[in-house]
Amino acid sequence: MSKKNVVIEVGDGAAIPDPEDKGLFTAWRISFFGTIAIICYLIIAKPDPYLDIIKFLPDGIMVTFKVTFASIGLALVLGLIAGLGRISKNRFFNLAASTYIEVVRGIPLLVQLFYIYFALGNLIRVPDMVAAIIAMGFCYGAYMGEVFRAGINSIDDGQTEASLSLGFNRSQTMRYVILPQAWRTILPPVGNEFIALLKDTSLVSILAVSDILRRGREFASESFLYFETYTMIALIYLMITLVLSKLLSNMENRLSHYERR
Amino acid sequence: MNAVNPIITIRNVNKFFGNFQALDDVSLSVDPGEKVVVLGPSGSGKSTLLRTINQLEKISSGSIVVDGQEISDPKNDINRIREEVGMVFQSFNLFRHKTVLENLTLAPIKLKKEPEKEAEKRAMALLDKVGMVDKAGSYPVQLSGGQQQRVAIARALAMTPKIMLFDEPTSALDPEMIGEVLEVMVTLAREGMTMVVVTHEMGFAREVGDKVVFMDEGKIVEIAPPDQFFDHPENERTRTFLEQIL
Ligand SMILES: Nc1ncnc2c1ncn2[C@@H]1O[C@H](COP(=O)(O)OP(=O)(O)O)[C@@H](O)[C@H]1O
Ligand SMILES: [Mg+2]
Repeated sequence: MSKKNVVIEVGDGAAIPDPEDKGLFTAWRISFFGTIAIICYLIIAKPDPYLDIIKFLPDGIMVTFKVTFASIGLALVLGLIAGLGRISKNRFFNLAASTYIEVVRGIPLLVQLFYIYFALGNLIRVPDMVAAIIAMGFCYGAYMGEVFRAGINSIDDGQTEASLSLGFNRSQTMRYVILPQAWRTILPPVGNEFIALLKDTSLVSILAVSDILRRGREFASESFLYFETYTMIALIYLMITLVLSKLLSNMENRLSHYERR
Repeated sequence: MNAVNPIITIRNVNKFFGNFQALDDVSLSVDPGEKVVVLGPSGSGKSTLLRTINQLEKISSGSIVVDGQEISDPKNDINRIREEVGMVFQSFNLFRHKTVLENLTLAPIKLKKEPEKEAEKRAMALLDKVGMVDKAGSYPVQLSGGQQQRVAIARALAMTPKIMLFDEPTSALDPEMIGEVLEVMVTLAREGMTMVVVTHEMGFAREVGDKVVFMDEGKIVEIAPPDQFFDHPENERTRTFLEQIL
């Protein structure tokens, strides 16, 4: 009867560290402290050009974060709607959600980015960053939809029946009983999608949005220091994703408090 | 003859799952304060019957009137009717993400707009009644089956229902925990609650039941007071059933 041990496996996000792993040399620690050590070493041993590169990037980091957070927000909203649509008995809503997911999953992300970006640009002239956010959110919303659907389905039907029998209607049941529980199952794959999305925001550098990668390219094309610049960019992406994956694993730990005996 | 109106009236109800008929022309009425025990072999439609009363299963045809309202009439708000009908499940179904106390207060606060303090006070009184006050802050996973079921009963009572439905409330419990749950149910019966109970606990059926309903293959085969039912069963199938379980 109980479906509490369901694990949703989705996607290609960075691995979220296993909170049970108590060893001193975890893969996360080796990568994280290794990354910091290398960045520090490069800045101190060869401040020219590495210090210059690092000084050039903060604007780009901010843009990357802005695009990531705004896109994930949009993706979560679209994902929730799509996920509810996929389990809905309303034929129209269900079909619309399924079609959205099928279409988005069948087109490469970069192609969708170009398409939405230029389509939006031509139709309603929105700022570059907004177009990029809408495009990213729209694509990731489809993946989130599947995550939400799986998370909601993982909750035992008995929970719904108990809620209905008390007098809650379907949407109250979803809001007060199902989603708060599904969230715990959903969080790990959402976390993975979040990190995958952060990495994929590097694609928006092609769309005249000055994220980390685009700032790096600007620096490299003026200084011709391609190797050094991309080294630094790789290290910075790595550090960000490592910190995020750690935060997510802590959050996951906290959310599971009610499962502990 | 006293002329009380039944609080539940089930008339000629049929229920199909696809081509399979789970309820076959079932009629039954329950008076206010009456305790009805439903017996029958596994798969005979006992759960289905119980679940049609609060429309967890929609009936295919017939009529069910609960407290004066026809439940399949779309003009009547099924959610309001369900507030009047508490249900206790075999698998407890406590809200896993809520503490024991929150399990009891959630519905009164959200549905009846009861002030939090008020709801908590009533919840503590109910927990006291089922002997679970000291576990108010625990989560369901931290409780034994018997404790979870007692909390589940209290949660249903928190909505002050007029009718309580029990679907094999002790079937998932270890034998040593059955007594504590039955005890709560007996107390509730003494207080005059209207109860419809599907169970295999014959002692409970005899002690508490006003009438016993025996089902087989989706039909109600026999309705009788417990003494008559157990000592002088009329129907052939009832006799076979009783021989098997007693
Ligand atoms: N949702 C359902 N879909 C299909 N068949 C069902 C469903 N629920 C119950 N049944 C069937 O209806 C019959 C009666 O079930 P139930 O009322 O649960 O019996 P009981 O509670 O007496 O054991 C069984 O044969 C069961 O398989
Ligand atoms: Mg049953």
